[in-house]
Amino acid sequence: MINVPTGRDGPGGGRELQTMQMNVDLEAQTVDPLVFYLTGKRPATGPDALVGQRPALLAGYADLTRLRYDFPLVLIEGKTDGAPVRSLSSVVDNLLQKIAPPGMESEQLRKMILRLEREIRALAAAGASGRLSELWDEAAARLEKSDQTFGKSVRIARAALEIDGTVLDCRADMATGFIAHLWSAVQADKAQKFRVTASRLAVRLADILRADHLRSAAGRNAESLMAAIGLAHQALFDFAALAKVLPKSSPGEALSDSRRRRIESALAVLNGQRFFAPAPGQARPEGAAEPYSFHFDNCADAIAAYRARLPELAELLKAMAIAELEVDGAYVEGKHDVVFAGFDAGSLSPRDLALFPDYLVTIREGGTSLDHAMLMDALSSDLSLKVVLQVGDLAAEAPAGNGHASGLRGTQLATLAVALGEAFVLQSVSSNLYQLRERVLRGLSFAGSALFSVFSGVAAQQTSLPLYLSAAAAMQSRAFPAFSYDPSAGRDMASRFSLENNQQPEADWPVQVFEYADPEMQRISQQAVFTFVDFLVCDPRYHGHFVAVPRGFQAERMVPAAEWVGRPSADASGSVPYVLTAGSDNVLARAIVDDRAIGAARRCLERWRRLQEAGGIRDSHAERLIEREKKIWEEQKRQELASSTTAAAPIPAIALPAAATQAEPAAATAQRSPDEAYIETERCSTCNECTQINDRMFAYNGNKQAYIADIRAGSYGQLVEAAESCQLGIIHPGKPIDQAEPGLDDLIKRAEPFL
Amino acid sequence: MNDAATLEKPSGDVTQLPRAKRPVRTVELPESIIEVVSDSGEGAQRCGQSLGSVAAKSGNGVWTVEIIPAEIQPPARSVAGASGNRVRIGSRPVTNGGDEADLVVAFNEQVLLGRVRAGELKPGCIILLESMWRNDRNPSVVASYVATRDKLLEAGYRVYEIPMEQECRKLVSDPRRGKNMFVLGMLCSIYSLDLELAREQIAITFGKKDQKVIEANIGLLEAGWHWADANLDFRYWIPPAHVAQPQLVVNGNTALALGVLASGMEICAMYPITPATSVSHYLSDVFERVGGLVHQAEDEIAACAFAVGASYAGKCTATVTSGPGYSLKQEAIGLAVMAEIPMVVINVQRGGPSTGQPTKGEQGDLLTAIYGSHGDAPKVVMAASSIEDCFYSVITARKIAETFNMVVVLLSDANLATGQQPFPRPKFSEGWLAPPIDQSAVAEGSKPYDWDRVTGLARRFMPGQPHGMHTLTGLAHDRDSHVAYDPLSNEEGLRHRSLKLAALQKTLRPLQVFGDGSGDLLVIGWGSTKGAIEEAVARLRADGLKVSSLHLQFLQPMAPGLKEIMQRFRKVMTVESNWSDDPSDEIVDAENRRYSALAMMLRARTLIDVDCWTEVRARPIKPGIIAEALRAKLQE
Amino acid sequence: MTLEVTNCLLRMYEEHHNLEDYQGGVPRWCTGCGDNAILTAMQRLCRDNDLRPEKTVFVSGIGCSSRLPHYMRTYGFHGIHGRALPVAEGIKMARPDLHVFVNTGDGDCCSIGAGHWIHGIRYNMNMTMVLHDNHVYGLTKKQVSPTSPRGLKSNTTPRGAYLEALNPLTVTLGVQNVSFVAQAVDWIPEALYDVLSMAFRHRGFSFVRVIQRCPEFLPNMFDPWLQNPQKTLLLTHERGLHVSANMAKVYNNRKEHDPLDLDRAREVASAEDPIPVGLLYQNPAVPCYEDLRRSGQLRTADYVRAGLEAEFDKFTVWPAEQERSKPAA
Repeated sequence: MINVPTGRDGPGGGRELQTMQMNVDLEAQTVDPLVFYLTGKRPATGPDALVGQRPALLAGYADLTRLRYDFPLVLIEGKTDGAPVRSLSSVVDNLLQKIAPPGMESEQLRKMILRLEREIRALAAAGASGRLSELWDEAAARLEKSDQTFGKSVRIARAALEIDGTVLDCRADMATGFIAHLWSAVQADKAQKFRVTASRLAVRLADILRADHLRSAAGRNAESLMAAIGLAHQALFDFAALAKVLPKSSPGEALSDSRRRRIESALAVLNGQRFFAPAPGQARPEGAAEPYSFHFDNCADAIAAYRARLPELAELLKAMAIAELEVDGAYVEGKHDVVFAGFDAGSLSPRDLALFPDYLVTIREGGTSLDHAMLMDALSSDLSLKVVLQVGDLAAEAPAGNGHASGLRGTQLATLAVALGEAFVLQSVSSNLYQLRERVLRGLSFAGSALFSVFSGVAAQQTSLPLYLSAAAAMQSRAFPAFSYDPSAGRDMASRFSLENNQQPEADWPVQVFEYADPEMQRISQQAVFTFVDFLVCDPRYHGHFVAVPRGFQAERMVPAAEWVGRPSADASGSVPYVLTAGSDNVLARAIVDDRAIGAARRCLERWRRLQEAGGIRDSHAERLIEREKKIWEEQKRQELASSTTAAAPIPAIALPAAATQAEPAAATAQRSPDEAYIETERCSTCNECTQINDRMFAYNGNKQAYIADIRAGSYGQLVEAAESCQLGIIHPGKPIDQAEPGLDDLIKRAEPFL
Repeated sequence: MNDAATLEKPSGDVTQLPRAKRPVRTVELPESIIEVVSDSGEGAQRCGQSLGSVAAKSGNGVWTVEIIPAEIQPPARSVAGASGNRVRIGSRPVTNGGDEADLVVAFNEQVLLGRVRAGELKPGCIILLESMWRNDRNPSVVASYVATRDKLLEAGYRVYEIPMEQECRKLVSDPRRGKNMFVLGMLCSIYSLDLELAREQIAITFGKKDQKVIEANIGLLEAGWHWADANLDFRYWIPPAHVAQPQLVVNGNTALALGVLASGMEICAMYPITPATSVSHYLSDVFERVGGLVHQAEDEIAACAFAVGASYAGKCTATVTSGPGYSLKQEAIGLAVMAEIPMVVINVQRGGPSTGQPTKGEQGDLLTAIYGSHGDAPKVVMAASSIEDCFYSVITARKIAETFNMVVVLLSDANLATGQQPFPRPKFSEGWLAPPIDQSAVAEGSKPYDWDRVTGLARRFMPGQPHGMHTLTGLAHDRDSHVAYDPLSNEEGLRHRSLKLAALQKTLRPLQVFGDGSGDLLVIGWGSTKGAIEEAVARLRADGLKVSSLHLQFLQPMAPGLKEIMQRFRKVMTVESNWSDDPSDEIVDAENRRYSALAMMLRARTLIDVDCWTEVRARPIKPGIIAEALRAKLQE
Repeated sequence: MTLEVTNCLLRMYEEHHNLEDYQGGVPRWCTGCGDNAILTAMQRLCRDNDLRPEKTVFVSGIGCSSRLPHYMRTYGFHGIHGRALPVAEGIKMARPDLHVFVNTGDGDCCSIGAGHWIHGIRYNMNMTMVLHDNHVYGLTKKQVSPTSPRGLKSNTTPRGAYLEALNPLTVTLGVQNVSFVAQAVDWIPEALYDVLSMAFRHRGFSFVRVIQRCPEFLPNMFDPWLQNPQKTLLLTHERGLHVSANMAKVYNNRKEHDPLDLDRAREVASAEDPIPVGLLYQNPAVPCYEDLRRSGQLRTADYVRAGLEAEFDKFTVWPAEQERSKPAA
């Protein structure tokens, strides 16, 4: 039901929990439901109708620690094999694959490890933090107290457990920890790539300098020569004499001062750069300052830092570009100096920028650190900021007040950001984040800014629900749906925007089958929807919007809130909306909902429908578009069919440049009069026969193939001779121009076979 | 730790062993030569090498020589099948394998006979002989064993029959494998070597295997130690030399390979051939760890041509081979000479001509090295004279090759290849490394062979250098590398290629004479014989004879001042391990006598009547034998 | 990784060459010699791919064919008889950044260099080898070559060649690791050029046999093929030879052949009349020896030092802490 990914086991104990005593005979206040619905007014005294109640659909999730679901997560350290974050259950599953493959003999071990997993989950849920290994050992210790046999089997597993990392449960700050971890994984990857390139360039540049040094006088003096010979052999040589002999061989040209300076400064910049830390276990090159930090807690500082470092970044990129040209021997001062002289922040291309670290900003919605203007500014600018926005509470009003819930700023920010169009945007509830990890990674690798707006559930002190459920409920009820917008995914909205992961995204509210037992203990199964109203039930601060059903109030005058929300608001035919709740005793109850709550639900639904539009669900624009495209396509097909029947299939175009140029003369050489003298140039094999006869009459073109350059530069006799000597027979002498040439008749006869 | 109690008493009928063991007096020796011989596969070589390492660790001077049968798996118990090691341990640094052995451990009497016949045993020396054959099922084996033993006793050798196998069986199921460590234990006891060092050594040798193997071998080691301690009536002590710095203990081929690493060369091209191959074995294992690679080519010619190509386009390259392979490479070497491509050719000499003696050393390739390849093909020729020298020579060869754009032939030989001798651990210098590939543009119009008129040196153009384009050719060519059709440019090329040798010679220092700068006899040698020659000279000088020696590192060109030194001696002769006619042969006379390689070169260069003494017996020349030859020469 | 900036700059100032930029000395081949056609095709190839002359090496052995490097204005290596391949392999191994071409003849490659030829195919190093096959020794004045037709009268076979001619195509296609085999004839310059271009673009060892005329010693050997286009079979394929309208006019004896089909390639190769022209076989998946062998490791001095010291450590004996003394008797 609730969008809880439940592993294979399903809600532990969920079954018995979902069949419940139905009891409508609530001890109730005397209040006119109709009045309450319209005004929200209720007797000041009298118990709150919803004490300890939660939405009936959530009744199944009393104890999460008994479920094998995504949480807690393990933020993998070191080698991640492309999965920097894994759920505890997946970690355990892999482990079981390895040490306890399905089968009777290892059944015992399986059980124990699964038991251990549950213990670890419980620890995490109880707020224990630390690395998996630590929690593992603690849990093991606990269990061993109760069961001695535990120790051994768990130690086996512990030994086989290769990975480790911080354990992260679905806490209030889960999003920050989660995304920050993925972010550093992405940065580590960039750093690795950079180091490979940079060190390659640095070594090659150093080589250029060393080669130059060895050519120089200093590199060939007695001392350096002696250093090149092993101690035991130094007595064999007179290095002074050797030094005297050497310069006699032309040592080659020394580096020009300009080039040396260029290389040295590039080298200095490469070694002194502060954007990437040296490889793990490697010391910083001396003189290099502390590497920069890229993690901030507010946009202003991040942007300021970015701007401040931009010139330095440009310097580094410039140095790398120069290095790449230099090591390839491709730097031409005449051409490149100008370019690099004017090289600055403006010259940086997004692709090159993407090679460098992204700025991570983690802020809490409502906190002082959130400056909307600054955030929007950042998201619409060219810099690469990854902003994690933690939405801690969807309630706008003070819990005390009696107004309705409104102004869900968290969602507004994300949709606003989408409107900006340039930034990557992802909205999700924390409970769903692990499912969306690939998208998060895509956002973090996105060349540009990204906003991750995450609702982490209503804090425990305000609700009876664990954060995980509260968050899940927010998504389920469309109060805080998941969506993502990825500008790099394509040109149009359809390819960029996704409602992926929401339950039944095509529906207004997700529908579930809901089972319970009636007073005769008959199992009753009915369809139930989870609406925004149900979400409000989760939060005691809204309980003022609900009231218990008074005794004797006819059930038929009550309409499920979901249905009610769908009706036009004016309609009040004496009936009232209600919502199903359940208390800790698992007894179902109905509560009447006031109009404000319904109104809030309606607005929520409208927001959801807008998202659906954007997500291409019943998208009017798209449908029109498709229709038009379809027409065009059919038209094309018709034409193609027509054309293919008339013309024969064309000869495929030729990939090779030269061949391509040769394709044209086809027409030219097609019809040539036998009177004309010419050579089938493109068939000439450069054998020099004709050019030997007369290199003014016959010449080679750019491809070194012969043509008649100047027919008057020689006699018809030579033309005929050439035709005869050409082994390919591609010289056609045509008719003589100079009729006065001696022996013409004979020549013409000889020419005939070649016309 | 003298608890012989744990060991059962030796079987009574071993007559040479004392009944009741009396306290043993430890005799101090300046040095001792130990041989351990067995059928191949019984681990005598590992035993000898371990003993060498232990002695080296103990601060003694050491030289080990492998005793190798020609075949890989000769029949068991055969006279020709002796496989093992000779270990010479001294209180001062040891520079050669020395004379006859003082103590021999033999796993069977046949291999022992092989050594006796080869004259490798000192008269009356100690023999520790495996006694199991006495009780062999095969009567003929028993017979030959007893006969041999008695003959040796008659001849005055001190034979100790030792139930090695029997003792080992107490600890391991397959004593044939473990025996060698038992023997190592005995030798440690006999020579008062620290058992702990031996344990360490075993841990190192079997390091790759699991702990069980190591423990088993240590068990055998200790058993041997205890057994000897309990049952033998002699023990020696060779005072250690005082070595302060760490020593490297490797054989000559490993030293060559380490030299290749240290020289910064990146490619070594080879084709399998004995005894050079082990250089490539070791290189193949480690070269890639320093970014290089060994290319095993389809044949010797390809290996050399590959090296030529790699050197032409990149850093100087090495190719490693032995006699027959060296002959095959000649044309490609000539090409490198003609085109002035730097290259290092390492020739680990073996007995020749033709297939000759693959596993045995000889100094037969000197003239081929100098004059090899048709036409005038001047190359630099160096010879390594010690294990340490093998290492440093490669570095020097690489530097000369790239400085003078010449082929450098480095001669080693089978004796160095398998010999071990500690030398001070080298201190790496960045200067050793080949320079980076120079890709700087050359001035437009400059010539690829712009020979300097005095030194013949020219700058080398490499592919990738702008404006340096030219076609290198094995044809006679002029300064532009254009084919020389006219006689003059042909001569010009020959002249300058030759001048480079003179230029190199000008940068060499005169040689240091070993002994006085003048006297009655000057002995000149080259290569692996250095240690033996100098030891012989030292002995004679100790007897007051006026003998000195010179050893040549460079054979082509030769160090300056050679003639001047020779003139200060009444007689000059070379000692070499290659062929020269024996003047006493009936039809050999002064006119037709063929001199040894170096003698011939020296005579031609100095017009001095240089005599020569040579031995080609497929074994390192013994200092004693050299000493006799020198005495004889002095008495002429 | 190359920066976009760098690419832009390189593109901005890409130097465009013309044929003359690759022309070295004046060819000393006979008039009418097929080598001229190969030289021209090579120079066009360099020009059209804008190969940097200093980054290009032509390696050859001995023979008429092997003079080609002298006529290119690139780096050239005119080595010794039969050894062009091992030299080229050494060059490529030391310098993968260079474009390496090998020019060899039927004597140089198929006779004295046959061993290297076989193993060159196995190494599959990224280079283009052109076998100038004129069926005769030219430079040494008309001796029989391995590819001479049986019965050919030459100075060493005055009564006619005794043996069947060797077929370089089938031999090459028979060796493990073969990755590119094509054939051209000097008298169809367009096909020759196209085949060479394909060979150059192939990553691996590209073997191109060019059947060529020797006007000096076998003046009329190929006349039938020159006069009758039907005796030439053009192998066409989308991944192979594309026939231009012009060529199509003259040579209409064509056949579709898939260069991935080794068995068919072997069949085609063994047919000698008509002469197949085009791409017989190409397998881009065969790994290159240089890629297998070269560690991408940067060889800094520190790196070498570290490696060397590590090796030293293996063989070092450290002096004993305290001096050993003679044990008491």
